[in-house]
Amino acid sequence: MEIVVCVKPVPESETRLRVSADGTSLDPEAVKFVLAGYDESAVEQALLLKESLPGSKVHAVSFGPAPRTEEVLRAAIALGCDQATWVEAPPGPAPDPVATGRALARPIFAMPHDLVLCGKQAGDDEAGLVAAVLGELLGVPDVGFVVDLRFDVPSGRLRFRRATEGGLELWEAPTPCVIGLQQAWNDPRTAKLPAILKSRRVAIAKVPYAPEDSSAPRSVAEKFELPPPRTGAAMIEYKTPAEAAAKLVRVLREEAKVFP
Amino acid sequence: MTPTVLVVGESSGGRLAGASLEAAGTARRLAAGDGEVVGFLAGAGTGAAAAEFARYGVGRVRVVDDARFDAAPAAATAHAAAAAADAVGAKWVVLAGTTFGRDLLGRLATRWNAAAASGVTEVAGDAEGLTVRRPVFGGRATETRRLVGDRAAVALRPHAFPSPAEVPVALAIEAVGAPDIPAALFGPKRTAVETAGAGSGPGLADAAIVVSGGRGLRAPENFRLIDELAASLGAAVGASRAVTDAGWRPASLQVGQTGRAVSPQLYIAVGISGAIQHLVGMVSSRVIVAINSDASAPIFKVADYGIAGDLFEIVPALTAEVRRVRGI
Ligand SMILES: Cc1cc2nc3c(=O)[nH]c(=O)nc-3n(C[C@H](O)[C@H](O)[C@H](O)COP(=O)(O)OP(=O)(O)OC[C@H]3O[C@@H](n4cnc5c(N)ncnc54)[C@H](O)[C@@H]3O)c2cc1C
Repeated sequence: MEIVVCVKPVPESETRLRVSADGTSLDPEAVKFVLAGYDESAVEQALLLKESLPGSKVHAVSFGPAPRTEEVLRAAIALGCDQATWVEAPPGPAPDPVATGRALARPIFAMPHDLVLCGKQAGDDEAGLVAAVLGELLGVPDVGFVVDLRFDVPSGRLRFRRATEGGLELWEAPTPCVIGLQQAWNDPRTAKLPAILKSRRVAIAKVPYAPEDSSAPRSVAEKFELPPPRTGAAMIEYKTPAEAAAKLVRVLREEAKVFP
Repeated sequence: MTPTVLVVGESSGGRLAGASLEAAGTARRLAAGDGEVVGFLAGAGTGAAAAEFARYGVGRVRVVDDARFDAAPAAATAHAAAAAADAVGAKWVVLAGTTFGRDLLGRLATRWNAAAASGVTEVAGDAEGLTVRRPVFGGRATETRRLVGDRAAVALRPHAFPSPAEVPVALAIEAVGAPDIPAALFGPKRTAVETAGAGSGPGLADAAIVVSGGRGLRAPENFRLIDELAASLGAAVGASRAVTDAGWRPASLQVGQTGRAVSPQLYIAVGISGAIQHLVGMVSSRVIVAINSDASAPIFKVADYGIAGDLFEIVPALTAEVRRVRGI
């Protein structure tokens, strides 16, 4: 199976967030970028499928600025992806999901793609729209919030579950298909040192960015705000469990107004 | 002039999802003045859901009565919704930011070449377009974004908007056939639905109250303390990964980075330490309560109210108090 996996660099989850000077975005200064969490799962799932289906290949694709995008592609190679393609984003505000999908769809369209895997959303903008955008542009179906993704060799169909509000749904789908992945079979693997060293020498294909793919007129970031620091919980003082319960119910009812 | 707003509804078993009602209420607010709101539904037997739209003030409902949509991915409905929006001349589309709504939104935005925003918690419209606020970075920051251009689509975070009051209007169904949709979009099929396994309570992401249990419960049989508290509150049950990894509860109940993100009105964390991977899944809840025997547990830093104490004493007392106050 020819598997394409889309990856994105995002700030490490422990990063202290700061607002940029113009107040409209995250200040990327001194931020360490890593492979987005759900993308890590998508890479893991791609590699698991490759290992279970002889003759498969995994091609990692990313759209983003230097140097972090190249770095996450090397991380994907170090984890076991066979090839990597980078669409370098122009300087300026972060592109919207439609622009990102367009930039990714160009090279993907030109490469074999039985399965295109994305993380269900990235931990920075949390838009979670790229899989659907890619599906539309590539002319193939897409399904998001997928767990437990398998390929059934006899029928040639994908079988998976989808984690929804109502519980887990069972699905099957033909290939080619775009999948927004929530969880792989396993926790994502970590790369071994020799593979990391080797990944530094692997050639990454670079695809030029097409300016017509830009999100320019659609969406403008106006403000990026950090919440006032949480002051910590108001602790309920009590002598008996019954008193603690009564006091909590009272504040939930009268102060927070959330009691049913 | 206020533009026409299309609200895409999501229904199952003839009922409109609660989050779709919130979307209907918001669409009506955006269309206030001389704008019009048009409802949209696709699937078999959508009549009852259309009637519910009318009960909440959306009388004109465009319906594609076609069973193919019921087991198909949101992508197919997105094509039908885009066609409906074109047909009624809608400039804005509002929908519930459920898993279905999110899958639908990206397609719609691409077909429309329009701005789209998901996970929206505030939205306002003016002559230039929509302005949205949405939590980003797992609720650790908020962005304000202007959606410009002719058209825009937004998916609203469930529970972030009020449930509208009933304002019954006459129902006028416009039944139309499905537009020309690529056959490939009907390729994926939902073959079955497994319930969350927690019984009859509300779904995790849809619930206004979530009670989650963690490793502090010590053994699977003790999890009934969580089930009982949740039942007394009419809440959904969630769990930390320590619990789902141990197999005490199914993975579908896991809240957090590798589970599900929830943003209920009230989140009660019991015996959960508050690891960052758990926090990103619940920190944008409106009110957070933590019950933990360790007064220095990190969960108390993000909670609004805390009880430092033994859950085996506190939780039964709380369940009893809730039952007493609610008269059940
Ligand atoms: C890549 C990755 C992804 C992850 N994704 C998730 C995720 O999606 N969701 C998630 O939840 N975790 C996730 N985790 C795991 C996370 O790091 C924590 O390990 C997990 O959340 C801990 O669960 P817990 O709080 O139930 O257990 P613990 O951290 O063990 O906390 C148990 C708590 O119970 C309290 N306690 C004990 N006894 C009592 C008592 N009698 N009364 C009251 N309190 C008591 C203790 O004081 C303690 O604070 C992830 C980890 C990784 C590395």
